Amino acid sequence: MLGYPPDSHLLRDLQLSFDHVDDGPSRAWMPIVPEICGDDGTVRIGALTTLVDVVGGGLAARAAHPNWIATADLTVHLFAPARAGRVEALARTVRAGRTTVVLEVDLRDDERDVGVATMSFSALPRRDSNPDIAVAMQPGPTTMADAASRIAAPLCDLAGIEIVDAAAGVVELPVLDWAKNSMGALQGGVVGLVVEMATEAAARAATGRSLAVTDIQCSYLAFGKVGPLRTRTDVLACDDGHVVTRVELIDDGAESRRMTVARAVATESLR
Amino acid sequence: MTVPANMGTDILRFARIEMREVDEFRVEGRVEAVEHLRGANGAVRAGALLTILDSAGGLCGGLASLPDGWVVSTNMSVRTCSLEPTGPLRVESLLLRKGRNNVVTTVTISDHVTGRAVLDGVLTSAILVPENGPPVWERPMHIRYPDDIASLSMDQWLAARLVDDRTIETDLRDALRNPWGILHGGVTAALVDAAVEHATAGAAVTDVVLHFIAPNRLGPVRARATLLGRRSDGTVVRVEVRDEGADRVTAVAIATAVPAEDL
Repeated sequence: MLGYPPDSHLLRDLQLSFDHVDDGPSRAWMPIVPEICGDDGTVRIGALTTLVDVVGGGLAARAAHPNWIATADLTVHLFAPARAGRVEALARTVRAGRTTVVLEVDLRDDERDVGVATMSFSALPRRDSNPDIAVAMQPGPTTMADAASRIAAPLCDLAGIEIVDAAAGVVELPVLDWAKNSMGALQGGVVGLVVEMATEAAARAATGRSLAVTDIQCSYLAFGKVGPLRTRTDVLACDDGHVVTRVELIDDGAESRRMTVARAVATESLR
Repeated sequence: MTVPANMGTDILRFARIEMREVDEFRVEGRVEAVEHLRGANGAVRAGALLTILDSAGGLCGGLASLPDGWVVSTNMSVRTCSLEPTGPLRVESLLLRKGRNNVVTTVTISDHVTGRAVLDGVLTSAILVPENGPPVWERPMHIRYPDDIASLSMDQWLAARLVDDRTIETDLRDALRNPWGILHGGVTAALVDAAVEHATAGAAVTDVVLHFIAPNRLGPVRARATLLGRRSDGTVVRVEVRDEGADRVTAVAIATAVPAEDL
């Protein structure tokens, strides 16, 4: 995929900006706009997983250079709502080995710390189609946004996520060019958004309350390149203010291949 | 692979887990005796559940890695589903993915009587080639340890000392090592649980993401908890594990814990 990301792309429209330091941590920022927030007015955890995946992916790619990387797992735990100004993600390398890179990412908005993320990546042989990280990540401030970049509708709508069966936590989406990663598959952070939407639908149906997702653990098993993609959701625990789910994301167009296994928690706790 | 005396086997004795290879890429287990694994609220402690997960997921991943090699845990992400007391436990591990360098297994633990979910998690392990070659097992594999030692509570088993109000440590005695000769991943997970409980005045861990960074070879092994934030359903905590003898960080974890007063 040459020229990644293309002109019309999630990573441009989120107006992400970055600041990389050679051999140091990476920072990224995402402006908080209503379209990336849930109905409680706080940033969706699925938008945060996208921010985390991008800043973490860049840092891990530098750590694995000249090889390329694929996200193996991503977790986010929130302890405060993000709603003021912009979200900052500070990513630092915990381990950079021959086959694996592990990162931690601190999340804060303009007022306070809001959460923490972890990621691990598998190192892969670099392909010609992968971005050259030495060129793509010059030290200093950068952005993928251009003058026309903006989130013009709710993030889940732009990603094409459709609630098929709320009570069963079944959501479906196509693999849009707008949301692909540099390998031509659904971006790993957007997978977090899909898990969020499936859990939110199931949790609200199960409790009749307006719960929001606060924790996500995603294990990535295979790329989702064909679509449509569809979730299977099991509610593992449920009380009035707290729901735990297990969500599998299946690529229906690729012989129903299992892409991701995730667990999520929905609560009322951040309001 | 030569297994040093007791290394690995004492972990399974502590947890009292019987495991059986059911079919290709699937391991089932049972834990009949759970009284010694319970915490203050009567539920089986997260640390014990994580030890069971590491053992079952590691066995499933290891069998899937044969004949190329055997496995060592690299990370686990786990969610407990119930803080209610449970009876005997049923354990199931399935292979999710086998790559060239690692295997991913899912582990579910449920109440054997009610069928209610107790824990759901994923264990990722690296495939390594032991110095003397991969282990040779009689297949299908069946591990059942005789009830020949006294049941130890998790605190007795870990024998952890309090270092300060956020830190605990334990010596790396042979009974806590795995067949590779390093601290068993389940012990590291149990230390994380114990450190969180200590730093939060008895909160019960419900959620753990644990990344193994380097092996613990020398000890003492120290786990230090830092409170990151509070929300109505619990406290989010970061735990750093260090091999003090080797002067290095060996694991990092993010955990969520329910306050003792809410149990």
